[in-house]
Amino acid sequence: MRGHERDVTSTGHPPWKSPVALSVLMHGLILGVALAGWSWSVPRDEPQPPSISARLVTQNEPEPSPVTEPTDQPDRDEERRQEEEERQRQEEAERRQAEEEERAREEARRIQQEKEREQQRQEEAAEREREEQRKAEEEAARQKAEAEARERERQKAEEEKRRQEEAARKAEEEKRRAEEQRRKEEAERKAREEEERLEAERKRRERERRLKEQQLEALADEAEQQREAEERQRKEAAAAKARESQMLSESQKYQALIRERLSQAWYPPSSATEEMTARLQITLLPTGELADVKLVSSSGNTAFDNSALGAVKSLNRYPIPDDRDTFERYFRQFTIEFNPRRLR
Amino acid sequence: MKLATQQKALALVFSLGLVAGCSSTGGTAEDGSDDSDVSAVDQEGGSTVYGGDDEDGVSSADMTEEERREAEARAERAEEEAMREITTFYFDFDTAEIKSEAREVLVAHARYLQANPDQDVRIEGHADERGTKEYNLALGERRANAVERFLVVNGASRSQTETISYGEEKPAVDGSDESAWAQNRRVELVFQ
Amino acid sequence: MMGTQMTNRTNTGTRLPAVAWLLMIAVMVGSSPASAELLIRITEGADSAIPVAVVPFAESGDMPSGDKISSIVQDDLTMTGEFRPLPAEKMLSLPSKGDEVYYRDWRLLGQRYVLVGQLTRKGDRIEARYELFDVNREERVMGATASSSVNSTRSLAHHISDRVYEAITGVPGAFSTKLAYVTLERAGGKPRYRLQVSDVDGKRARVRLESEEPILSPAWSPDAKKLAYVSFETGKPAIYIHELSSGDRTRVADYRGLNSAPAWSEDGRSLLVTLSKDGNAEIYKLDIESRSLKRLTNHWSIDTEPTWDHTGEGFFFTSDRSGGPQIYHKATEDAEPRRITFGSRYNARPRPDNDGKYVYYVHQRDKAFHIARTDLRTEEETVLTRTESDESPSLAPNGRMLIYATKQGGDSVLTVIAADGGAAYSLPASQGDVREPAWSPIAR
Repeated sequence: MRGHERDVTSTGHPPWKSPVALSVLMHGLILGVALAGWSWSVPRDEPQPPSISARLVTQNEPEPSPVTEPTDQPDRDEERRQEEEERQRQEEAERRQAEEEERAREEARRIQQEKEREQQRQEEAAEREREEQRKAEEEAARQKAEAEARERERQKAEEEKRRQEEAARKAEEEKRRAEEQRRKEEAERKAREEEERLEAERKRRERERRLKEQQLEALADEAEQQREAEERQRKEAAAAKARESQMLSESQKYQALIRERLSQAWYPPSSATEEMTARLQITLLPTGELADVKLVSSSGNTAFDNSALGAVKSLNRYPIPDDRDTFERYFRQFTIEFNPRRLR
Repeated sequence: MKLATQQKALALVFSLGLVAGCSSTGGTAEDGSDDSDVSAVDQEGGSTVYGGDDEDGVSSADMTEEERREAEARAERAEEEAMREITTFYFDFDTAEIKSEAREVLVAHARYLQANPDQDVRIEGHADERGTKEYNLALGERRANAVERFLVVNGASRSQTETISYGEEKPAVDGSDESAWAQNRRVELVFQ
Repeated sequence: MMGTQMTNRTNTGTRLPAVAWLLMIAVMVGSSPASAELLIRITEGADSAIPVAVVPFAESGDMPSGDKISSIVQDDLTMTGEFRPLPAEKMLSLPSKGDEVYYRDWRLLGQRYVLVGQLTRKGDRIEARYELFDVNREERVMGATASSSVNSTRSLAHHISDRVYEAITGVPGAFSTKLAYVTLERAGGKPRYRLQVSDVDGKRARVRLESEEPILSPAWSPDAKKLAYVSFETGKPAIYIHELSSGDRTRVADYRGLNSAPAWSEDGRSLLVTLSKDGNAEIYKLDIESRSLKRLTNHWSIDTEPTWDHTGEGFFFTSDRSGGPQIYHKATEDAEPRRITFGSRYNARPRPDNDGKYVYYVHQRDKAFHIARTDLRTEEETVLTRTESDESPSLAPNGRMLIYATKQGGDSVLTVIAADGGAAYSLPASQGDVREPAWSPIAR
């Protein structure tokens, strides 16, 4: 009993379990931090190039934008034409001959002016375009410089990270080796402990077995007695079963005999069809004589029912088993069904 | 009795036919001027026209064309007369098919009827006793009709013929064996 | 020590199921008698005929000479093949009324039914009181009185047979019906064809028509008062209707060619006939009153032997459209014919029963001609006769018996069989050469 208790305490698990758990936890943490560092830096670097290129595409667009001028021009033309017409109408009233000429000159002048204005406008647009081009170029150069600066920075950061990681890995390696060493020692200790535990267990089982044997030996007589009682019961039941099956086979034999006798005694009438069925309940005396017969289900055809009743009543003595139990169980009262399957 | 005469007649026809087989069929081809009656026979029987001719075969060369034709016609008539002795034609069970050996004789009858428009013939169909009476009545009629059609096709007029079926009611021979049945499945021609 | 423990353990291991098993059996056995009583099924009856004792009837007063009424009844029952009467000399007693019947005696003799009766002369009539007893049920099945004139005691006997038959079988008897048939006598060279009508036992035969020329295919009108038939009396076949009571005859079909195979419609107003006036044998409906014709078949083959089916809407007939004669059925006058028989190359002259279950016909098997029937529902064919030159089947109106002509020593004789192929009963051979039987309907 005492040894038993000591066994239980010696196999105390908490002191054996905790260092392992700790080391595992530590390793896990370190590994986790290292992995997190890795996975964190990668997504921050990569998204940049696509955003740059996207912006470049949108910068090319603003070029063709001189939409404002065509809306100005017709207004001014209209004013001028109205003035012209006003003047023409005044001049027409005074002098019609020079009118044509004058108008043509006027028109030519107007076209000339217009041409000049158009040219000027185009020059202005070109100037603007050049200006914008220059600005875009400047912007591109600036951006490029920025990008280069960023790239340099990124490379530097990466370099830094690699260095840090290298350092971390080395520290990790160091830690792992130390851990391994610790584990090895731990395992050795554990093996020793296990051996001790098994030994204790073996001893315990031996003690238990011995105890149980004693108990069983003590119970042996009782068990023997019980077994004998069961055997007796089993034999009795088997005998009953044998008797039962004997009765059953006996009954089947007599069923067949009755069936045969009734088939010979039954004259289905001409009106019988295969659809007709009559059921009669028979009650016999232990002598095999018919005590009573009841039509429990009619075929619907009187001649058919009567033929069945006649057949049942025509047997002077039914073949029945000598065994009284079998008779009582099967033949005291039973049902006969008349249903022609094969008419002549 | 009846059967005996029929057999005799058949024997005669046969012997004539055999003898005729010796003479050439080329002779018939020469007789392009012959009437249609003759040619009908030729087609049917493979030329039995020369018949009795052969008995004095040697002298035939000395005969005039006229004499030869007359002799031919005479022989032909004699042969047909002999064939027309046969007035009963037999059938297989449950059929109305005219047997090949009957065709030549029926052609002779048809020619005779054609040559004698006032002559009528009653065609009686019969069956053997096997099978049912009403069906046999119809079967006898089918046989009589087959013979009537054959006669008409070969020259007789429909106005000269009349058919009747007795089914199995008037057997030629009593008895219930194959030979009796064979003799009872028949068509009889009755000239009136 | 260990060993015993081990065995002990295994023992206890199987112990529980064993107990459960025994318990189950106990439950089963215990409950079976209570829940389901023993049931014995009888699916087959006796192969033999029903033993019945027809006790000679007691007589009081002058009786006409000739066959005794009870012996006519006995012969009637025997003819059906369904009964096996007990010879009178084996009877232990000869009761004539109910209170004289000792069931035990008849049981000992193995009898199922006992018929007793008494005949009393009353002027020019004979009265019969008769009773039928069920030996096993020890019950009077029926009792009745009937009478007839002194001259027609056979009718009285057949009437009693009808009643007794129906009481036992549940099917009306057909003993009071008639047979029509044709006899042929060849003595002295000239053939003599005679159309005759007799009782179903062949007695009381009367010649209705005599001819040197064939008479064929007698067919009863539905009221059993007229016969239609084919006669060659004019030298060619024609169809006649013959009123039996008056002897009046009418020629109803006399066309060129065939006029044959008349069959009455259920209302008696028309005949199905076979005519070949349009070239070959075809079936027509002939209106008797107006003589108008309706053609019902149209085929180059032989179509003949028509007969209405039980519905009166369609008809059966024989046709050789398939090469040999076979039975066909048209569900209506204008329906497409459906072939019924396939069992051999020759099946002809259909005769359907009254409830559409079977069709009977002449059937060739090997070299022999038998009477066969086909179950119209299952299409199963049964050969009913063992004789070999069988013709002209005709069904009794109650569908239980069938008469047909067959050969016996060179002559044709009539034979009655149970319609399901049971026992055969030849009509008296005194008839000579008899053919073409036709069983009359039950007179109305």
